[in-house]
Amino acid sequence: MKNNKIIELEMGGGGKKSEELIGNIRKILSVKGKWKNTKDDGAVFDLSRDATCCVSTERNKLVFTTDAFIVDPLFFPGGDIGKIAICGTINDLSVMGAKPIGISLSLVIEEGFLQSDLEKIIQSINKISKEAGIPIVTGDTKVTEKGKIDKIEITTSGVGLAKEIISNDGAKVGDDIIVSGDLGEHAVALLAKRFNYQTKIKSDCQPLIAEIQSVAKYLTSCKDPTRGGMAAVLNEMAEKSKTKFVLEEKDLPYKKETVAISELLGIDVFSFPSEGRFVATVAKKDSQKVIGILKKYNKSARIIGEVQKGKEVWLKTKIGAVKKIEVPRGKLIPRIC
Amino acid sequence: MESKKIIKNIWEKAQKINRPLRFMELCGTHSEAIAKHGIKNILPKNIKLITGPGCPVCVTDQSEIDIVTGLALAGIPIACYGDATNIPGSLGSLENARQKGAQVHIVYDVIEALELSRKIPNLVFWGIGFETTTVMTAWGIQEGLAVFSSHKLFPPAMEALMANNKIRVDGFINPGHVSAIIGAEVYEKFKIPQVIAGFGAEDVLLAIEMLLDQIISGEKKVENEYTRLVKKEGNQKAQKIISEIFEIRNASWRGLGEIEKSGLKIRKKYQHLDAEFIHRDLIAKIKKEIKPRKSICRCGEVLQGLIESKQCKLFGKSCTPDNPQGACMVSREGSCNINFRFTE
Repeated sequence: MKNNKIIELEMGGGGKKSEELIGNIRKILSVKGKWKNTKDDGAVFDLSRDATCCVSTERNKLVFTTDAFIVDPLFFPGGDIGKIAICGTINDLSVMGAKPIGISLSLVIEEGFLQSDLEKIIQSINKISKEAGIPIVTGDTKVTEKGKIDKIEITTSGVGLAKEIISNDGAKVGDDIIVSGDLGEHAVALLAKRFNYQTKIKSDCQPLIAEIQSVAKYLTSCKDPTRGGMAAVLNEMAEKSKTKFVLEEKDLPYKKETVAISELLGIDVFSFPSEGRFVATVAKKDSQKVIGILKKYNKSARIIGEVQKGKEVWLKTKIGAVKKIEVPRGKLIPRIC
Repeated sequence: MESKKIIKNIWEKAQKINRPLRFMELCGTHSEAIAKHGIKNILPKNIKLITGPGCPVCVTDQSEIDIVTGLALAGIPIACYGDATNIPGSLGSLENARQKGAQVHIVYDVIEALELSRKIPNLVFWGIGFETTTVMTAWGIQEGLAVFSSHKLFPPAMEALMANNKIRVDGFINPGHVSAIIGAEVYEKFKIPQVIAGFGAEDVLLAIEMLLDQIISGEKKVENEYTRLVKKEGNQKAQKIISEIFEIRNASWRGLGEIEKSGLKIRKKYQHLDAEFIHRDLIAKIKKEIKPRKSICRCGEVLQGLIESKQCKLFGKSCTPDNPQGACMVSREGSCNINFRFTE
């Protein structure tokens, strides 16, 4: 894939040029795993033979997930659409306690897209695939006419195996609520790029598999605060587990800069997404141990609140008042002044 | 723990006064800050904070929404702030117009609108807001941006509120950013306790304490809590550019009706950039064709602090932030929107 070359409509046509493009993509994707790719329409994984490479019991549960990604801008401090696309699916499996065993990658590309940009995107997918040891096992590529989509859309699906499923409805009264690191930095990185602000904050986009696996047995519920941020995710967890989540504002790991950008743009910081963090509930007796382990991965891991009897998500503000955190509603639109 | 101390003072002073008190915050950003920090929950029972007409989207009159939506539907590209796209008018909202194929661009600031106008011929920027946003619009016009002006002046609205006997207010929390432009002196004619405040939790709490102090000592003056930004004479440079571009006219406010000398019209010198002039024939036609939609939305009364959001029959039922029936539910700064999001 040469620098100034562009993606042509023909490259999605199924002919020789398609094959060339797919060949180039496959060349970059270096992790093979235990999957057998027979040039058929799908890849094959022998569960009875190879599942033990992932989990150490025969009683496995299969977890399957899919996610589509449209990101603007495509490249931002700390990552790009490719990195988000693979991390997103790895993390969706990880927060359920599953070890991902294979991921599919589908690309819809707008005619005229730079081949060098595509290469960068595929390389960053490969980098995460390598780091996490999770192969891309099947995929598809389509090219649309110019103007039919905005540059590129990526869909990844993934399968994983789990001994025990961690659900998002398992929070128990008395549990501590924990987060794995500073929050909302993916939003900050993208918004800063969109509005040309100078910031040192990079997107938090990263795979969570190792972190979650290291504490999985202690977690009563778990979720990653992506779209809709903490506001959406905590409300979902509280509602599904029929409990009340009470947070301490002073303990929430939003950096000063993150809060400043949210205030500047008039977007509630609790709705800022993270792409490499998780929030979980843990029995009080285990929470210090869990935080101790998680701090090895991220110093900002901490307890942010407690699960209580009742419903909804409440915040004890710094001035000592209590207010409800609502599910984000409407569209995220800029306000006036 | 500065705020704890202020809260303690507020409780003591409110007890001393020992009668129900109503303070009105005039700026939407204050309403947001009050909700965000949960300030209403920690105040003594006899202090009630009510939201005034300080959200620019909320006070924009139906007729103006209809004209801009009409222009968009007639093929004129419109650029505006995000909140403005959701206000329902007789012809639907600007967002509805966009779904039907109209060109509606959301911008974050005037610079973005100006850049767009260099790429999109005939683009009209819909200028909404008080003195704070007006300055930037005025600058945009100087740079060649065509504008439909719904800009309004803040002090005349206060005057109208004061003149309404139904409204009982014991003190105003005056806007911070508007005051940074217009200064503190303009408020002196209002004989009521007023404090210009910043937007942090402590700013608002301190403003409340200062209002209580005035009531205890029987004073009715303008005090400035937001000294780090607001100067007595305001921002002279900003005032100059506003008066260079705009002249004062009467304007219709949602809920408050027509208020004398409360709106801003682009001066004749710049009429080639005034959408009202450029598209005068089209606007005349739109005005003729519009049949105003009747609604039982009570935004107007909410804006004046006459009723609480929940007293409106639509609130929380057919009117939610996802599906707003009135402007107060559209903007994040609108009191209905805030009351919906931060259930008290």
